[in-house]
Amino acid sequence: MNYMPGTASLIDDIDKKHLVLLRDGRTLIGFLRSIDQFANLVFHQTVERIHVGKKFGDIPRGIFIVRGENVVLLGEIDMDKPCDTVLQQVSIEEILEEQRLQQQAKQETEKAKVTALKDRGLSIPKADNLDEY
Amino acid sequence: MFRFQSLDEDCTLEKEEGLVEEEHEIDQFNDDTFGDGAIDDDWQEEHKRLAELEEQKNDLLGGLGLGTLGMGGMGGGNASTVHLPPPASRVPHPSSLPPPHHSLSSMPPPGLEERGGGVLAESLAMLILGADPAIASVGGPAGPDDRSTGLPPPPSIPLQHHHPSQLPLHHQLTPSGLPPGPPHLSLLSYQQHQHLLRRGAAPMQQMNSHNIWENNLGFGPVSITPGLITQMEDSPLMSIIKEVGLPNRPPPMMSEDGRDLSERAPPPRSSSPVIGSPPVRAVPIGTPPKQPISHAMNHHHHQQIHHPTAVHVRAPVHHQHRYPPSFPERISPNTLLNIANSPLCRPPFPAGVGPVLSQIQRAQMLNSQVAGFPRGCQGPPLLPGGGGFRPFFGQPPPHRMGPHPGGPPPNHNHVPCPIIRHNTTHLHPQHRRMLTQRMQSRGGERGGRVGDWRSRDPYSNLMSQREKEWVAKIQMMQLQSTDPYLDDYYYQNYFEKLEKRQERDRDGVRKEHTTKLITPQVAKLEHTYRPVQFAGSLGKLTVSSVNNPRKMIDTVVTSRTDDEEKREKQVWDKRRQILYTVEKMYSLLLEVQDFEKRFMQTPEEQREALLEQHKTHTLQLYSSLKEKEWDDRVSDEQCLLIMSVRKGKRLVSRLIPFLPPLQAATVVMGIARNLPALAKKDKQDQVLCWLVEPIAVVISSLSSASLTDLLQELQGSEGQLSRVLQNKFGVTLLYLILSEGERMQSSNPTCQLMDDNRWTELVFSVTRELLNVPSSSLSPPLFTPPNLLSLFSRYVDRQRLELLQEKLQISALSR
Repeated sequence: MNYMPGTASLIDDIDKKHLVLLRDGRTLIGFLRSIDQFANLVFHQTVERIHVGKKFGDIPRGIFIVRGENVVLLGEIDMDKPCDTVLQQVSIEEILEEQRLQQQAKQETEKAKVTALKDRGLSIPKADNLDEY
Repeated sequence: MFRFQSLDEDCTLEKEEGLVEEEHEIDQFNDDTFGDGAIDDDWQEEHKRLAELEEQKNDLLGGLGLGTLGMGGMGGGNASTVHLPPPASRVPHPSSLPPPHHSLSSMPPPGLEERGGGVLAESLAMLILGADPAIASVGGPAGPDDRSTGLPPPPSIPLQHHHPSQLPLHHQLTPSGLPPGPPHLSLLSYQQHQHLLRRGAAPMQQMNSHNIWENNLGFGPVSITPGLITQMEDSPLMSIIKEVGLPNRPPPMMSEDGRDLSERAPPPRSSSPVIGSPPVRAVPIGTPPKQPISHAMNHHHHQQIHHPTAVHVRAPVHHQHRYPPSFPERISPNTLLNIANSPLCRPPFPAGVGPVLSQIQRAQMLNSQVAGFPRGCQGPPLLPGGGGFRPFFGQPPPHRMGPHPGGPPPNHNHVPCPIIRHNTTHLHPQHRRMLTQRMQSRGGERGGRVGDWRSRDPYSNLMSQREKEWVAKIQMMQLQSTDPYLDDYYYQNYFEKLEKRQERDRDGVRKEHTTKLITPQVAKLEHTYRPVQFAGSLGKLTVSSVNNPRKMIDTVVTSRTDDEEKREKQVWDKRRQILYTVEKMYSLLLEVQDFEKRFMQTPEEQREALLEQHKTHTLQLYSSLKEKEWDDRVSDEQCLLIMSVRKGKRLVSRLIPFLPPLQAATVVMGIARNLPALAKKDKQDQVLCWLVEPIAVVISSLSSASLTDLLQELQGSEGQLSRVLQNKFGVTLLYLILSEGERMQSSNPTCQLMDDNRWTELVFSVTRELLNVPSSSLSPPLFTPPNLLSLFSRYVDRQRLELLQEKLQISALSR
């Protein structure tokens, strides 16, 4: 607050544990160590948390530097608040496996849908998720 | 290797190091620019020394692992790097980390215990000390001398000294090769120490201490937070460090003007020559702040040890330094983690080394660190259980006396009301008031806890105060506005409304609220740059630079008022319209003119159609000239418009022959009627004269009555005739008419010209005018019809006739 009262600044968030959601869908949790004017973030002891269903797994990643434009949202994690969550932590291998299964299932449904539509003579053009151009 | 450059003014008291520092620093500077001109003669000696050492080390060390530190350091060195690759191929990097990590990590790799303890200690020492460029030159003025002098009498090595107390696994750390002795650390300069270690029986492949620092400069933030340092308390190295203390980091900046030597700043920008660009005084905006000077290094303990010749006595320590840590502010956590992970980083073929951890294993190892982290707990690589060490909170800039808002050391009184900095003047006063209230209410509850937590975080304050301020400054710059009501309308309005509401609610109890808001505004700075101009030179210099690209075009804004523009526009529009009409008529005319040709070519059947077409065309042509209602009168306005344009006159002259006689006559009448105006417009180009021929033709076909009419038209209004006479065409026309009249009379005695008096009267008036008009204003006609004299002779007496004759230069012979 001392830095720029009345404004939203990341300076006061430094050295605190944060959760950041990136544009590619990844969720990172780590200690915010450094920022700059573009809101590029330096995370320390970063953990990538993968959620599949009710399970989640943490993959330690070390130090992350996130370019500011890729941040969707960023929030401080309250260390004092009791963590009452229904989510169940599993090992890395397990969560990766779960994720793979999830992706696979998704692809299969997508494929089935496309085939079904094709049989009926319809087609839905593939939505372009890239927000460039 | 040492280039002594003159330093600029920024050698403050805070820096203990004297000349040596500068010298080192200069070299680092050179190294930063990747070896530009940093070659020196000493390198050959260096190389020799290194080669000797390598051979020794090769025997002992074998396949010692290479720390990434060393590897990274290689990039930064200059001449020293030249030597490194050959050695490195043979032997692992000198500043590699031997693996004493077993004390740190949860998984001691096998086979490490076999290493010579002395080797371990030395390598560790080298690494840690080398890891920090801050440590680069600990020695004061004695620094460079050390190299030149011989080895001082073997001083004590504190290694053995501390082992028993602190090492769980100390057997491998016995510095066998090091000479024992009483701890006279206070007498040791770091350089000497290095020499010791180097020359000892446990040789290490190492570079010149100086080189180590140089090399390590290039590789990244190197700082160990004290917390992590204490992890290594167990290691002998740590004990060394504790005892000896880590030397100062070389002051990363000696000059304030952007020559930032810390690894974070880019090499200094080349500024364009002053002559062509504005002076570059300010640090470019994207430059991060320089690394702050390490205050920690300047504690007295340190000073005693390393500077027997006192350089500067540090000012009384800041409250935060009450428990000064033994370590520099920044040794890279990476360094320490590398200690932990060095088995993972080893080169591929070390003998007898355990397998490299798989990704997951490593991840899990880190995970344990992460998990254990927040509460500063028991994870082995993490914080100590306590110890006499205090966290280091980073360097507030020297001038800043205010307390840290969020994370003061636990033993520090938390000030509830933070200082409001000067750059918050952009806030609405009401806003500021609210903020202070908020701060005060929240300040007390939070302070202790947060401070506590922060105190245990060894990685805290990686971002120094200066850097935070720098970012804040950039963000605040974006808030600057010369017109807050324009830039931040809703903000201003909101707070105004808030004020009003509060005032209303409290019935104006508080006087301060009634004060008018004056939001400070940033003065508009004059940013234009005027190019350099020399007196007496022609124009401006075309010197351009990055900051001042050359202006290619000097545009000058001429602002015209709206009215002027409208008028101009109108004029242009009108002209365009006339031209347009003329063009259209021309196209018709051309068709009419070509009629005959086409007529010849078309077959019989279509000739009628063609004829019809022709007629319509001609009618069209005429209709464009004539009045809307009257068929026998040419619209004055239109005629005038068209005739005022040169093209139009030409058009008419071509047109008249094609018109049926009646219409042609009316056209001619119109011309005659408007002759003065036309004459006026025709002053520049005598295009009217083109009309003479066709008009002559027309006139000759005129009946007497119409002729009279024509003459009358010509005379028209008062004074018209005089104007007519001034114009060549007018005179010609007049003569034509008169001569026609005369011809009529003379040829056909029974012509009706004399029937009414009009003709006579008109001729009389003409003669009168002719006599009255001064000769100078009478313009010569195109030609003088021959029978004028006879005409005049009918009407005027002899005297006048002679006058006329003279005036008009009508020769009697023409009679």
